[in-house]
Amino acid sequence: MPRFLRLPASPVENSLEGRVFVFLGFAVATLAVVLYGQDYVVPAIGIAVAAIGHVVSYRGRARKRTAAGQVLIAGLVMGALAYFLADSVGAIFGGVLPQANFAILLVAVTSFDLKTRRNCYSSLWISLAILYLAAVFAWDYAFGILVALWALCLAGFWMSSHLRRMEARVVAPIRPLALTVAGALVLGLAAFIFIPQPTALSPTPLVVSLPNFTSFRGELENPALPLVQISGDPSGATGSIDLHFRGRLGDAPVMYVRTGAPAYWRGLVFDTYRDGAWTASNRSFVTFQPYVQPRFLPPAPPHNLGTFVQVFRVVRTLPGVISAAYPIQSLYAPVAALRRDVYGTFRTPDVLRAGQTYSVVSYLPNLSAQELAHDQVGPDVPEQNPEYLDSGTLSEQARRLALQAVAGQGDGEFERVMALTKYLQQNYAYSLQLGQVPPGRDPVDWFLFDAKIGYCEQFATAETLMLRSLGIPARLATGYSTGDYDPVLNQSIVREHDAHAWVEVWFPSHGWVPVDPSPGFSALPATQFPNRWAAAGIARLLPHLSIGAPIAALGSLGILAVLPTAVAIALVVVLLWAWIRTRRWGTVARAAPGETELLRLYDRMQRRLGRRRAPPETPLEYRNAARPGPIEEVLEDVTAAVNEGVYAGRWPEPQRVRDLAERLS
Amino acid sequence: MATVVFYYGSTSEVAWLFLLAYWIMALVVAAYVYARWNWRGLAASFALAGTRPAPDSPLDALPEQLLRSGPIPAPIFEGDQADIDLQLTTRGSARGPARLSGLVGGVEVHAATGLVPNAGWKERRTVGPVTRGPILARAWVLECGDPLGFFKFKRKGADGEVGLVLPRFTSLSAQPRARELEASVSAPRAGSGTEVFGVREYRPGDPLRRIHWRSSARLGELVVREYEPPGVQTVGILCDPSPPTREVADQIARLAASEAWDCIREGGRVVLWAPGIEPSLPSEARSFWALLEWLARYPQAASDGAADLPPVSDAVGVTAGGSAELLEALETARQRGGTIRAWLVGDGALDVDCPVQRVGSAWPL
Repeated sequence: MPRFLRLPASPVENSLEGRVFVFLGFAVATLAVVLYGQDYVVPAIGIAVAAIGHVVSYRGRARKRTAAGQVLIAGLVMGALAYFLADSVGAIFGGVLPQANFAILLVAVTSFDLKTRRNCYSSLWISLAILYLAAVFAWDYAFGILVALWALCLAGFWMSSHLRRMEARVVAPIRPLALTVAGALVLGLAAFIFIPQPTALSPTPLVVSLPNFTSFRGELENPALPLVQISGDPSGATGSIDLHFRGRLGDAPVMYVRTGAPAYWRGLVFDTYRDGAWTASNRSFVTFQPYVQPRFLPPAPPHNLGTFVQVFRVVRTLPGVISAAYPIQSLYAPVAALRRDVYGTFRTPDVLRAGQTYSVVSYLPNLSAQELAHDQVGPDVPEQNPEYLDSGTLSEQARRLALQAVAGQGDGEFERVMALTKYLQQNYAYSLQLGQVPPGRDPVDWFLFDAKIGYCEQFATAETLMLRSLGIPARLATGYSTGDYDPVLNQSIVREHDAHAWVEVWFPSHGWVPVDPSPGFSALPATQFPNRWAAAGIARLLPHLSIGAPIAALGSLGILAVLPTAVAIALVVVLLWAWIRTRRWGTVARAAPGETELLRLYDRMQRRLGRRRAPPETPLEYRNAARPGPIEEVLEDVTAAVNEGVYAGRWPEPQRVRDLAERLS
Repeated sequence: MATVVFYYGSTSEVAWLFLLAYWIMALVVAAYVYARWNWRGLAASFALAGTRPAPDSPLDALPEQLLRSGPIPAPIFEGDQADIDLQLTTRGSARGPARLSGLVGGVEVHAATGLVPNAGWKERRTVGPVTRGPILARAWVLECGDPLGFFKFKRKGADGEVGLVLPRFTSLSAQPRARELEASVSAPRAGSGTEVFGVREYRPGDPLRRIHWRSSARLGELVVREYEPPGVQTVGILCDPSPPTREVADQIARLAASEAWDCIREGGRVVLWAPGIEPSLPSEARSFWALLEWLARYPQAASDGAADLPPVSDAVGVTAGGSAELLEALETARQRGGTIRAWLVGDGALDVDCPVQRVGSAWPL
C-alpha cells in the first residue's frame, strides 16, 4: 500500500477504564436495540461475548497479532455477515433489525482484537451506528437518556484514554466536571430546541432492511382497509369498499411514522361508486424494484416546496399497501418488487408484517388556500377517466343539495369545493356508532337525508359524488390520518382508529388535492411545511406560548434563519466570556479566628481614647502618641496583638481577645 | 464527528441525532471553557523534599546538633540523591488534569494528575547522584487542559533553584572518634572569651548570668549565651578564582570544605576568599553550613563586593596553579605573621614558599 494511504500508527490502549467505557457504550447501544427494536437474543449474546472479548483484548494488548487469530476473527465476521444476509433476505430469524444485529455481532467478534486506541474508537463508532439504528425505532423522550448515556461513555473513554496518555491516574475533580457535563448537556439541549433542524438537499429513503424474496402472485388486487370488513384471501385483498359494512377499530397502534411533516398517509384510491360500494376501475400497474428512484416517478408537482422523508415501522400486520404522504418522490420497501397502480399507490407482494420498515420521500406541494383559489375548473377529465365525473348513482335530491350548498360561491372551483366541504362539516355529525343502512336504501341518500350522522366514508363518498354532480372531478382516497403527531420528535403514532377516508379533488394546475369533509378534521388537510424547529414544536404543544409565532416566522426564512440564531449564540458566548473574565473565582479568604474580634476591640479602644488612628500611622506610632491613662497597659497588649496579627499573620485566639476586652472594660 | 451525526440527522428525520450532534459539539465547547478555567487556576512549583545520602556521604559523620541547624529539609552533598516534590496548587476549588515537566538538576522529570485537590497535589521524584552546586529547575512547563484531551494550554515557568548541593568534605587531620567530634562542635564555651557567637540551651553547670532571659522567655526554656574561647584563630581559605575544569573546581571546594571543617571543629573561625569574588561573611565565620553554601556556589562570578583578603591569623591556599592574586594574598598573610600552606590540585606548578601538598581530582584523597 502506498505510504500516503497508510494510517498513522495508533498506540496500544492501556487504559482499563477507557475500555470499560467502550464496552459500556456498546451496552447502551445494545440496550437501545433491546428496548426499541424488541430484539433480545442477538443483543444478549453480543453483550456476553463482547464482555469476554474485552477481557481477552486487555490481557493480550501487548502481544502481537497472530495470523491464526486474524483468520479466526475474519471467519467470525464472515459468519456474522452470513447471518445478516440470511436474516435480511429470508427473514429466517424474524428479519427484525438485521443491520443492528450484524453490528452487534461485529462488535462482539472484534472485541477480541481491541489492541489500539483506534480499535477502541472503531468499536465505539459501531456502537453509535447501533444506536442510530435503534433511533429509527425510538418513539419517546426516554431515548434521550440512552443518547446521553452513550455520549457520557464516549466522554469517559476520551477522558480515560487522555489521562492514561498523560500518565495520570483516572481521577477528576467531581464538582467542576459534573458542572461541565451538565452545562454541555443543557447547552446541547438548548441548541437542539432553538436551532432549526435542516433537511439535507437530497433526502433519500432509509434502507433499514434488505428485500425479501416474496414475489407477486397474479394480478393486482385491492387490499382492504382496516376500517372496512375484510373479505377474501388472508392478505386482506378485496375488490371494493362497501359502505353497508364497517369494521370495529380499536386504539392499538398499527404503525409508527418518523416524518419531517405531519400528513395524511394515503393508501388506496377508488374512482367507481356502484350500489354503495367503491371500486377501482383501472387495474393496470407498473412493476418496480424495491428502491424506486425519482427518475422512474412523475416529476415534482407545480409549486413544490420541497421534499421530506418518512420512515414507517409496521406494528401489526397490514395489507400490502404503501401508506405515505403523496405525491411520492422515491421510496424503498424491503420487498422483492413493488407495483404502482394508475392512482399512484404502491403495493407490496405480501402483507406488511409487524417489524417491517419502509421509507418514503414525498414532495410537499404548495396547496394553500391562496394558491388553490387561483385555479379554475378545466374542461379536461384527468387521465381521460370518465369515472371521475360519474355521479350517476347520486339521487336528484342530493344533486339539488349540492347546488344549494355552493349557491352564491361564484365559479371558482376552490370556493365551490370549500363551500360544499364546510356545508357537510357544519350540518352533519360525525359518529362511529352508526346503525346499519336500511336494506334497499342508497347509503349516501340515507346519510344525507335520514341519519345525518356518519363516519368518514359517508362524508367522503357524499362529497365525492356531489362534487362530481357539480362538474368537479373527484375520487375517494383512503388511508390513515396523521395520528398522534409529536412535533418535537417529528414522529407520529398511527392507531387503528386513525384509519380514514377523504376526497381527492382535481385542480388543473395542482393535480389531486386532498379535501376532508369529516367534522373535526381540517377541510384542506394538505401537508404543512415542516417546521424543523424543536422550539416551534414545543410552542405548538403549549398553545399559549407566545414565542411560537416569531419562531415559526424565523423558521420560514429557511437557511437564513441560521443567521439570527448564530448572532444570538455569539452574543451569549461573548457575554458569558465577559462574565467569566470579570468574575472573581475562588472563595474569599475567611477571617482567622479572633481576627474580627481583635480588630473590633482595637476599634473600640480607639473610640475610648477619643482619637482614631490616622491612615499613615502605624499601630506602634498610635500607641506612642496616646496619652498615658488607665488603659495604657491594655493598649500596649492590644497593639502588640494587632501587630502580630497584621504583620506576622498570627491572630490571637478568641479567648485571649475576650480577656483583653474584659481588661479594657 | 458531530458534523457526521448532524448530517445523518438531516437526512433521516431522526431528531435524536441532532440532539446527539449538539451534545457532542456542546461537549467540545464546555471542554474549552473547562480547559481555560483549569489553566487559570493552577500554579506549579518544585521543592526539595529530602535527600538519600550516598554510602560515603559526609552526612552520616555530622553530629546531630549540627544537623539540626542545617538546611531544611536536609543537607544534600554531591553524590547524594535528591527527592524533589513536583507540586501543584489550585485556587478556589479542585481542578485537573495537569502535567508538570521540566529539567531538575539536569534530569528530565514529569508527573501528571487528573485531580488537583483543594489542598494541592504533589508527586515525588528522585534525581541524582547530584553534582555540587545549585539544583536548578529549568525549562519546566505546566500543561493544563480539559479531561477529554481536546484542548491543552501551556504555561512556562521561570527557572529556579530547588536546592543547593554542598561539596563533600572530610577531616584532613587524624580522624577523631565520634564522641570527640560531637564534643568538639558542641563543647560549652559559655563563660570563656568575650565575643558572643551564639546561644544554646542551658546545661547544668552554666553560670546563671549567662542566661539569655529574653530568648528563654520566647522559647519557653532556658537558653544561655555562648562565648568564643580566647585566642581563637581565624583561618583564611584562599580558593583559586578560575579553576580550569569543573572537576578541579569540585576538588578545590572539597579541600576547602575539609579545611574549614577541621578549623571549626578546633573552635576556629574561617573566612573563604577568592580573588575577585565576594568573600564569606565575617559573621558566618563559625557557620559551617554558610561556608559550605559559599563553596557549593564556588567559583562564583566576579562581583562588586570583592575585597582584599580580610585579616586572618593563618591562610591555606587551594589552587590549581599560579593565580598571582592568590599567591599575593598568601604572602600578605605571611607578612601579617600567620602561617601559610597550600593545596595544589592537578599537575600545575605553584611558586610559593610554603608547604604545598599536591593532590589529584579523585575523592576521597
